[in-house]
Amino acid sequence: MALPLHERAIDGQSDALVRLTEDGIVFGAAKPSQATVIPFPSPVGPAAFPLLIPSRPLGEGEQYRFHFNMTKCIGCRSCEVACNEQNGNPADILWRRIGELEAGSYPDTQRHYLSMGCNHCLDAECVKGCPVDAYKKDPVTGIVLHSADACIGCQYCVWNCPYSVPQFNPERGVVGKCDMCKGRLEDGFEPACVNACPESAIEIEIVNMAAWRENYSGAESPGMPSAVHTISTTRITLPENTESVLERVDAGQIRPEHAHLSLVFMTTLMQAVIGAFLVLLLRRELDAIRLGLLLAVAGIALTISTLHLGRPAYAWRALKMWRRSWLSREVMLFTLFLFALTATTAATVAAQFHSVLTPRGLPQLEWLTAALGLAGTLASAYIYLVPARPSWNMRHTPIDFVLTGAFLGSLFAAVLCELPRSLFSRTPLAELPSTFVAGSLPTLLAVGFALAWLLNQGIRLYRLRRSSLFEARATFSLLSSELLSRRATASLVLVPLSVLILASGHPLPALAVGWAGALLARYLFFVSVVPLNMALTFVRTRSA
Amino acid sequence: MRLFHKLRRMAGIDTAQSRYAYGKDSRYGYVSESRVADKWVKTTCGYCSVGCGMLIGVKDGKAVAARGNPDHPVNRGKLCPKGLSEHHILDAPGRATQPLLRKNGKLEPVSWDEALETMIERIGLIQAKHGFGSLGVVGTGQLLTEEFYTLGKLVQLGFRTPNHDGNTTLCMASAVSGYKLSFGSDGPPGNYTDLETADVILLIGANIADNHPILCNRLERNKNRTLIVVDPRVTKTAMMADIHLPVKPRSDIALINGIAHILIRDGLINRDYIGQHTNGFDELAAFVLKFTPQHVAEVTGLSVAQIERVASLYGQAKAAFIGWTMGVNHSTQGAATVTAINNLALITGNIGRTGAAPFSITGQCNAMGTREAGFTSSLPGYRKFDNPDDREALAALWGLDVRYIPKARGLAYPDIIEAAVTGKIKALWFIATNPAVSFPNYSVLEQALRSVEFLVVQDGFHPTPTSDFADLVLPAAIWGEKEGTYTNSERRVSKANRIVAAPGEARADFDIFLDLAERMGVRDVLYPGWSTTQDAFREWQRVSAGRMCDYSQFTWDEIEAAGGMQWGGERLYSDGVFPTADGRAKLHLVPCEPFLEQPNKEYDFILNTGRTVEHWHTRTKTAQVDMLNKMVPNAWLEMNPIDARRLKLSSHDRVTLVSRRSKVANLELRITAIVAPGQVFMPFHFSESNSNLVTLGAFDPISREPNFKQCAVRVEKSAAV
Repeated sequence: MALPLHERAIDGQSDALVRLTEDGIVFGAAKPSQATVIPFPSPVGPAAFPLLIPSRPLGEGEQYRFHFNMTKCIGCRSCEVACNEQNGNPADILWRRIGELEAGSYPDTQRHYLSMGCNHCLDAECVKGCPVDAYKKDPVTGIVLHSADACIGCQYCVWNCPYSVPQFNPERGVVGKCDMCKGRLEDGFEPACVNACPESAIEIEIVNMAAWRENYSGAESPGMPSAVHTISTTRITLPENTESVLERVDAGQIRPEHAHLSLVFMTTLMQAVIGAFLVLLLRRELDAIRLGLLLAVAGIALTISTLHLGRPAYAWRALKMWRRSWLSREVMLFTLFLFALTATTAATVAAQFHSVLTPRGLPQLEWLTAALGLAGTLASAYIYLVPARPSWNMRHTPIDFVLTGAFLGSLFAAVLCELPRSLFSRTPLAELPSTFVAGSLPTLLAVGFALAWLLNQGIRLYRLRRSSLFEARATFSLLSSELLSRRATASLVLVPLSVLILASGHPLPALAVGWAGALLARYLFFVSVVPLNMALTFVRTRSA
Repeated sequence: MRLFHKLRRMAGIDTAQSRYAYGKDSRYGYVSESRVADKWVKTTCGYCSVGCGMLIGVKDGKAVAARGNPDHPVNRGKLCPKGLSEHHILDAPGRATQPLLRKNGKLEPVSWDEALETMIERIGLIQAKHGFGSLGVVGTGQLLTEEFYTLGKLVQLGFRTPNHDGNTTLCMASAVSGYKLSFGSDGPPGNYTDLETADVILLIGANIADNHPILCNRLERNKNRTLIVVDPRVTKTAMMADIHLPVKPRSDIALINGIAHILIRDGLINRDYIGQHTNGFDELAAFVLKFTPQHVAEVTGLSVAQIERVASLYGQAKAAFIGWTMGVNHSTQGAATVTAINNLALITGNIGRTGAAPFSITGQCNAMGTREAGFTSSLPGYRKFDNPDDREALAALWGLDVRYIPKARGLAYPDIIEAAVTGKIKALWFIATNPAVSFPNYSVLEQALRSVEFLVVQDGFHPTPTSDFADLVLPAAIWGEKEGTYTNSERRVSKANRIVAAPGEARADFDIFLDLAERMGVRDVLYPGWSTTQDAFREWQRVSAGRMCDYSQFTWDEIEAAGGMQWGGERLYSDGVFPTADGRAKLHLVPCEPFLEQPNKEYDFILNTGRTVEHWHTRTKTAQVDMLNKMVPNAWLEMNPIDARRLKLSSHDRVTLVSRRSKVANLELRITAIVAPGQVFMPFHFSESNSNLVTLGAFDPISREPNFKQCAVRVEKSAAV
């Protein structure tokens, strides 16, 4: 059923509805015949003002969308304020934002403005990525709707949207976004931004989805990320002959993103645990104590990861969308890994308590655990392969996650091997020579992993610098900025240093140094990402 | 219990659902529950002079929402971002809530009794010693017309000092003076619908897209118009124009005279109108002869073709409209420039007709009201100090002996400040204005504030950069907390209503004035039987009856019902009769002088100052509205890329602006082709980066308006903080 927009608009009781129509300014009334029409002054005649919301119901294969007319916008920002007033949002959260564009040289300067809410995309990445199914593309209107009740505040949609539309509200612990004022549309009112715009620069119109998918060039605009990623439905009317020259004015001001420290810790710890598990498994050196320690660290890491959520109590919901969301898959695989590791540990403990009975299937369980861990690591890395975040969306990300696991796992395994042999040790203490001595294969492998890690980082930096994408180059500039460059250098030094310390026979300090390097590198991974976004204003408080 | 809530919040079980819930407003439908109102109160916006009608939603005695009034003829339901968030100001922090008196160097809370008794006593002692004129009073276009009228009587007849002016002298005094010079009286002749009906619209030094955004849709609706914007900066308004004339700073007079030259040369003038309704045409024709297109092109930096084209567009227009704001007014030649503009309208007969007017778009919400009812630069009701009939009439209306009515204007605002520095003024009383940010050449102003023996600051907010200097702070009600009328740029008198109670002990300015009169023993003489602003309105109706600004034609209720009423009707001078001795308008000869402080080697930039849409004046209000303040939290300096390359500066660098007077440090640099090479621009709103540290204290000899728009500066990279 289509929203009865037209009927409601005409039949609505409220006198608050103001429309600019071809006849003049219409103030809503109970019946069309009773509507007050203030005609335009006669010298102007009937002006060609379109209705600002559709005048007919939606047909098959159609949806609503925004039309923004850049030639009408004067950058007054009424839409932004009206949006916040409509939705009761604090000043730090803007579901509709204004951007500035400039071109030319004085006096032939061009200044234009963008105004953008949600683009209610045909291929909305926020919908696809959400692990809890909090997003729905409304089957009737095409509006991309978000449910604050379902949301757990993982912010994966914030990362996925090329327009940085969904915004996390720390006060609520959930994300929120423009819903085209669906509630107002149902009442027969224009969305708040449309209603507020004194220049009628924003309107709601109907789009045929199939036709738009064929040709969505009308969504492209200077200052806007390409519509190719998600097929934005917003149509933008551009001034003539400015498409190629208008430039965003906010480009000189790239600010570090959120550090997501809980994720920095979770990812590095999980990678270290999984790496160490594999090394110990291959060396046949898994014992109850080592497994117990790995289990403890993995448990802590996964607990820490829930702190990343705005609503940790509902972390379990993240399992829901494993069929389509990499975040769900990560959560599922890591949870299964934890279960398998628990089972392996329990079985090993059992085997050592009753050393006569070797439980059947333990080796298979161990290999299953390892496989789940590896798969989890890859799922974890695939979360970051989002086009909206170019410096993450590189094959270097999964390589980095695996190599971090390899070198950090080697260091962790070395520390675990140094532990005094327990009662439960499978082999008598004296029979086992220390694994990680200079020149030994495991040590050489650790050195190799660390060097490979360094090489991966180096190539990533080089490619960021040479990228054709502004956002990727901006990441490089951030990393080489006064603010971050020392941290970046430190991470690149600490990692190789750690394996040298290992080779000199000091596993514990080696792990400390190596982990510090990995933490720094992961922290930089998060803060230095420059997301795709619409052009913003020159002077402003907030980065979104 | 609190811990329990905190844990629920941390765990995400509580997502502040109730605060973010949606509800149903009876008028406006689906909206955040926090904006659902019990009732909607009609009022008029308290920011700029466009005078938008609005509805403020009230719930449980608090203002919760602001909406444009769809029935109001000015804005037809639309509001700018300041208006849309105006209800927040009624719940904003930073309000002055109790009288404060400086004791032992510190401002301490006192009772109203003590505050007002002290004020009368201290001012009385100073006046006894130094004369009545040793008190200077500066009011504001933020007051209601009723209040400004009441204040005028209190200052001139109660305190008996002629040294009374408004902050409007910083704003539109040049327009007032220019209108008086040309037409014999103040009063913008046109109205906003002219913007929809004119076929040529010439905006001179008017960035309405930033400063009067709700006027812009009139231009959008006018499909037949040619919009010409004259501005040295590529403003948002210039971007709307069909033709932008990027003139050199302060070359506007040359351009206007040049247009007059072409109009007369080509016969694109209305000889009938000139003959019947003007004086001085022959002199004007002779005078503008030297403003040849070639000469004007040299002075303005425009091409001859541009000047010829604009002149012929204006001359051939069926109805031509000229609008201007601070680009014209903020000048030592402001009043003269206004008369030059009026010349164009007069010689082409573009006045008193639909779409045709020389129209000053004014500044504050009630700047016009203070012009009409003010007892400052003229007597109430556009009466003249030097006209004995006017003085007699007023004395009769007030039941006073005519000798009490001053025969001449006292000191204007800048002269009051200068007199405070030189010691002639010993006591100052500022009402709802913030000169520490808005007055040019801050160091002189600061000296004035420090020099006087007694400084009273009456304001809705404290602390402000001005109230910091005060000996006495009187907390006042603001927009939304009192009832009366505002007049907008098109002479439309609209009702501003009381929505909520003033915070703490703050009182309406009107009540403060009446209380002072009571304590001085003049209440019964000046305000017989008055208790509310409506009493003031009724007297003002009698005082203005028969004058150009005749308020006797409508009551408060009628104003309210109509969404404002225009005194003088839709337009003035439809009959071509002007309020001069012979009923004719006067054409003035206006020479084009270069602005005073030209750049040189040491100070190589021309500084232009202005505004941005998100803020209002000195930000005492808009800095308290989180949404607006976060949109634009700091000042910036615009510089052309050519100059930035030369100075090796990059965008977002922190720079220091240095003039002969002082400097402004730590400005965010914006490299942009909005400004011309050799010019820089900064907004004046920010006390933290006060442009008036560097601006020039030069004033129009006629209007006394400051020349805020041009001074010589240099730009240096700020030392690292």
